[in-house]
Amino acid sequence: MEKELRLMKGNEAVAEGAIRAGADGYFGYPITPQSEIIEYLMESKPWETTGMVVLQAESELASINMVYGGAGCGKKVMTTSSSPGISLMQEGITYIAGAELPCLIVNVVRGGPGLGTIQPSQSDYSQAVKGGGHGDYHLIVLAPASVQEMFDFVSLGFDLAFKYRNPVMILSDGAIGQMMEKVWLSPYRERSKTVPEWATTGKPDSRKRNIITSLELDPNRQEIFNQKLVKKYNLIRETEVRFEEFQCDDAEYLYVAYGTSARVCQKAVELARNEGIRAGLLRPVTLFPFPVERINELAGKVRLILSVEMSAGQMVEDVMLSVAGKVPVYHYGRMGGMIPAPDEVVENLKERIIGG
Amino acid sequence: MAKIRGSIVVNIERCKGCEVCMVSCPTGTIGMAKEVNGKGYNYAYPANPDLCIGCASCAIVCPDGVITVYKTKI
Repeated sequence: MEKELRLMKGNEAVAEGAIRAGADGYFGYPITPQSEIIEYLMESKPWETTGMVVLQAESELASINMVYGGAGCGKKVMTTSSSPGISLMQEGITYIAGAELPCLIVNVVRGGPGLGTIQPSQSDYSQAVKGGGHGDYHLIVLAPASVQEMFDFVSLGFDLAFKYRNPVMILSDGAIGQMMEKVWLSPYRERSKTVPEWATTGKPDSRKRNIITSLELDPNRQEIFNQKLVKKYNLIRETEVRFEEFQCDDAEYLYVAYGTSARVCQKAVELARNEGIRAGLLRPVTLFPFPVERINELAGKVRLILSVEMSAGQMVEDVMLSVAGKVPVYHYGRMGGMIPAPDEVVENLKERIIGG
Repeated sequence: MAKIRGSIVVNIERCKGCEVCMVSCPTGTIGMAKEVNGKGYNYAYPANPDLCIGCASCAIVCPDGVITVYKTKI
């Protein structure tokens, strides 16, 4: 089948992406600015075509635990929410990570803390990357910067989740969720007919019982399990780093930004270059694993690094760790649902240059 | 030459309050409502309907196709 071009919202692209990725189930609860995902799924009725289950749960807690159950059966399951809803899901997410189950969680971030606003923000970086729940665990975090990536990352997210048996989060924001862009839709993938060997689907005589749990009463065995997780995360750090560079080759000053901020910075780089300031942009596509090595490499070539986020400064900490003191690292951010304008970002860089 | 008067109709529930139409309007017809729609966004509405000239700039820039423009000669 040929690729299909369609104009759609970021949220709709996630929903369409789920159907086309061959997802088995979606469990969610509506919240602005991501309600279009469940609206779109309910309207497309995938249960009549691909057989995908779509269910509006009674709460976010219910939906993440339905995902836990579905993932335990070896199914491709997902949920979506926005910041306050994702906070409610944290218990379920750490249990899923502890039970080593694959699933996809989409967070269309809005301003916080608390109920906050319904406008776009990137203030959930730390929650997503450092583990919002308890225990030593990590999610694989993908940060889309366009509607096309919202679509593509659903399929990619499921693949990564099943490859590493680890929950994957797509960390988007209200702007990308609500904006409309062209999307090349890839062909439908069949829903998997085989069950992974670890799935709990009833015990046949041919194998031992499969047990899915995140509970271990013996601390020695729990430590061995934790070491296994650390080994897995280190493998992910080695193999799954993804990033994109924009005019970094001859850059003297480097922006680091992801998602919506990266789009703003791309324009800022063009504006700065028009004024003779050689700026560049590095956009981390995976936030965990973070492109530590590449940033460290670039830090040896540039004079300063400016991390631009729609938050009080969360990713900047990871940038500083990556740079390891080679060059000054600064932060510029807007909060509470405000998006920085490109000229604002250029002005801020200029202030740093004069000041530094 | 006949004068043209326009009027706009906003599909309130589909509006996400991005304010692009408000900026694009050459006559200051459009404002943002104090009330919110079902999703919680302050939606666009014709704050000064008499000023509308039916140029359809708002409908062209609207990313969600929310605005319909009607023109009449008077």
